Amino acid sequence: MSVSSELLVAGFNDAVHDGQQVFRALLTAMSEPGKLQQPNLIAEGPGALNANSWQVALALLDADTPVWLSERLAADAAISSNLRFHCQSPQVDSPQHAAFALCDASDVPDITLLNMGSAEQPDRSTTLIVQVPAISNEPHWTLTGPGIATERQLRIGGLSSTFVEQLIASRQRFPMGIDCIFCSADTLVAVPRSTQIDINMGGR
Amino acid sequence: MYVAVKGGEQAIDNAHALMRKQRRGDTKLAELTVAQIQAQLPLAVDRVMNEGSVYDPELAALALKQASGDAVEAIFLLRAYRTTLPRFGYSEALDTEAMQIERRISGTFKELPGGQILGATYDYTHRLLDFALLAEGEAAQAAREPASSEPLEPCPRVLELLNQEGLIERSRNEGEQDQTPRDLTREPVTYPAERTVRLQNLVRGDEGFLLALSYASMRGYGDSHPFAGELRTGRVSVALVPEELGFAVEIGDMLLTECEMVNQFHGSATEPPQFTRGYGVALGRSERKAMSVALVERALRADELGEMVAYPTQDQEFVLSHTDCVSANGFVSHLKLPHYVDFQSELEMIRRLRREQQTSTQQTDAEQNDV
Amino acid sequence: MSEVATGYNFAYLDEQSKRMIRRALLKAVAIPGFQVPFGGREMPLPHGWGTGGMQVTASVIGQQDTLKVIDQGADDTTNAVSIRRFFARTAGVATTEETAAADLIQTRHRIPETPLRNGQILIYQVPTPEPLRFIEPRDSETIKMHALREYGAMQVKLYEDVARFGHIATSYDYPVMVNRRYMMSPSPIPKFDNPKMDRMPALQLFGAGFEKRIYAVPPYTQVTSLDFDDHPFEVQSWEESCAICAAQDSFLDEVITDDAGSRMFVCSDTDYCRQRVAQQEANP
Repeated sequence: MSVSSELLVAGFNDAVHDGQQVFRALLTAMSEPGKLQQPNLIAEGPGALNANSWQVALALLDADTPVWLSERLAADAAISSNLRFHCQSPQVDSPQHAAFALCDASDVPDITLLNMGSAEQPDRSTTLIVQVPAISNEPHWTLTGPGIATERQLRIGGLSSTFVEQLIASRQRFPMGIDCIFCSADTLVAVPRSTQIDINMGGR
Repeated sequence: MYVAVKGGEQAIDNAHALMRKQRRGDTKLAELTVAQIQAQLPLAVDRVMNEGSVYDPELAALALKQASGDAVEAIFLLRAYRTTLPRFGYSEALDTEAMQIERRISGTFKELPGGQILGATYDYTHRLLDFALLAEGEAAQAAREPASSEPLEPCPRVLELLNQEGLIERSRNEGEQDQTPRDLTREPVTYPAERTVRLQNLVRGDEGFLLALSYASMRGYGDSHPFAGELRTGRVSVALVPEELGFAVEIGDMLLTECEMVNQFHGSATEPPQFTRGYGVALGRSERKAMSVALVERALRADELGEMVAYPTQDQEFVLSHTDCVSANGFVSHLKLPHYVDFQSELEMIRRLRREQQTSTQQTDAEQNDV
Repeated sequence: MSEVATGYNFAYLDEQSKRMIRRALLKAVAIPGFQVPFGGREMPLPHGWGTGGMQVTASVIGQQDTLKVIDQGADDTTNAVSIRRFFARTAGVATTEETAAADLIQTRHRIPETPLRNGQILIYQVPTPEPLRFIEPRDSETIKMHALREYGAMQVKLYEDVARFGHIATSYDYPVMVNRRYMMSPSPIPKFDNPKMDRMPALQLFGAGFEKRIYAVPPYTQVTSLDFDDHPFEVQSWEESCAICAAQDSFLDEVITDDAGSRMFVCSDTDYCRQRVAQQEANP
């Protein structure tokens, strides 16, 4: 559980202002689900983590946020070393105890194992950051709910149907639930628990 | 044309300048230095450190100077400064048994292992104004004072003597590890709050409010029946374990006052009758504060000890939500801000209600006249 | 305007505190109307004077933003001046009095009359975030009431007014339901402003400093004021119009002009009033 210095990549050039800009993109993304954001303030991520997921981690994680890594990401020493070095986040074995869970689309956790908060404290939930191959507003999911004037179209590549089914089923538990941040190489989008997802007929 | 009577930048600047002038007072008199305040008003400095939550007598003295001696304003200044300080880490738990004692008294035992030492106290002074001080005669008087008394050797706390007989509850069970306390400055209090959180809250709490609550608890608004088991003041060393070293390093010492109260407890279904503890600690020489914390702390344990929670002094949410002088002062003083809009809304409502009442009265009168 | 202060962090708060508040903000927008507890910090202004709104602003604001601060609708009230100066000094950001030119608007007690657009953020200063506080003072109880969506007590309170006065007598801080799920305090804005919250294109953030709560309403979210079928929600109206710009559709402050109690009415929103006057002068 140590830091390997040869695996370290750069953090933000300007931690204060770059962190603020990534956060603003996240705030827009989370308050307007399906709206694509491209803050792109960093060149590369550590190991298998793309630059976009890495800047989200830098903007949100610190010593106060236990983080859980999916199997593939946890096996990548560059990722855990950089998270430790730049964010000082404790890494936990159980997603139940994580403020943030970080995974790849090919390696998503069982959503029901994440912490959905409680009816009294729904904010104590795990936020899921998923690295995905592609994000666009092509019609696939139709999103409705707070932050969306009428409806919004969203297509996220690489997600398993089990994951999507679990995500949709978790809407029954609102206000408990999981807020997701999806990061492709250059685009991020959020789908909070308040967003209803309808899968368009004929779409995959 | 009408120009709205609203404040402005100039008004604020002028107010600040006037305040500076008022604080300085008569310029024919020498200006008070921060060092003088720190050295000669140490009890005021201690209060500011406690409620300001920063152990730094010099900054507390500076705050008092800047606040024209207003303790609450000085506490606020120190708190606001505290926010900007980086958090390097948390100290190890202090060992107050190892305290270099300068004062130690017990109201429960006449003779104690380690002895009692009166130290410096106002307790037995006759509260007569000393006009020699007015005549600036302190220097001569101080020269005649005895040299400071020898400090006591570190000695065990009085309540541990009762513990040997099993007459008092244990502060922790056999083999129980210290819990890492939450930090209420980093996360908000949720209820019911753990004992460690309650204590943090009380130590930062307003001295006057806690004094009044403890007074109420002793007068019958609370089932307290306390004895001052021990009150001790002295220096305690502070140690920190730096992440990169992995072992404790002493980083300095601090002056503390610690109080343990002994309270009656009639026993419950699971516990035999025994004494219970109320604990208080405060920075500097702050006996009134430490005692008040210990009394209120014990009152707030009513629920966990299975006592009836019947009075505000025993009600966690009532006490803990209202201890903070910075919050209390802010909210009360915010009434000085404009509330034109809300007041206008209320004016409109009251006028409308009166109009409606008048109309309905007139209608009733008219109907009665018709009959 | 004062120069930018040195020796302090950008926008005063340290990065760790900002991240903590930012995480709370993301939770708040994900659960519209739910009060997220956060580790509220001491600010160099007193509690109750806008420290919650300031902590939110400090965590959201960036170098490129233009900030507007209003109190009672006005840019030139002392507290608005003081907060605007604070951010000009600690963040060096541009400030404006023009509603349409602002990216962030921090407010106490009003929503501007000029409709806000998508992309703007309205940050409310909140003294008492709990709408149920005066029905049940204990947080440990109200948190359960929110969990169970048990809001009958508020309906009863409002209905007592109806029974006594013939209509609801709450005139400000009038409770709303957000997205049909959470009851929320709109902060002490006059109920005149409540309808502006409904499906507002701008993001609405709420910060309560000493109560240590943050909550939010995302853009285009349904916000309804509580009422009854036979006593629908209604807002204040004036027979008078603004003595300066003749507006009939804005919230009016009453000003007493002499010892005999003579009165006049003027817009509480100073920017709105000024713009109307400018328009009238341009197109007489």
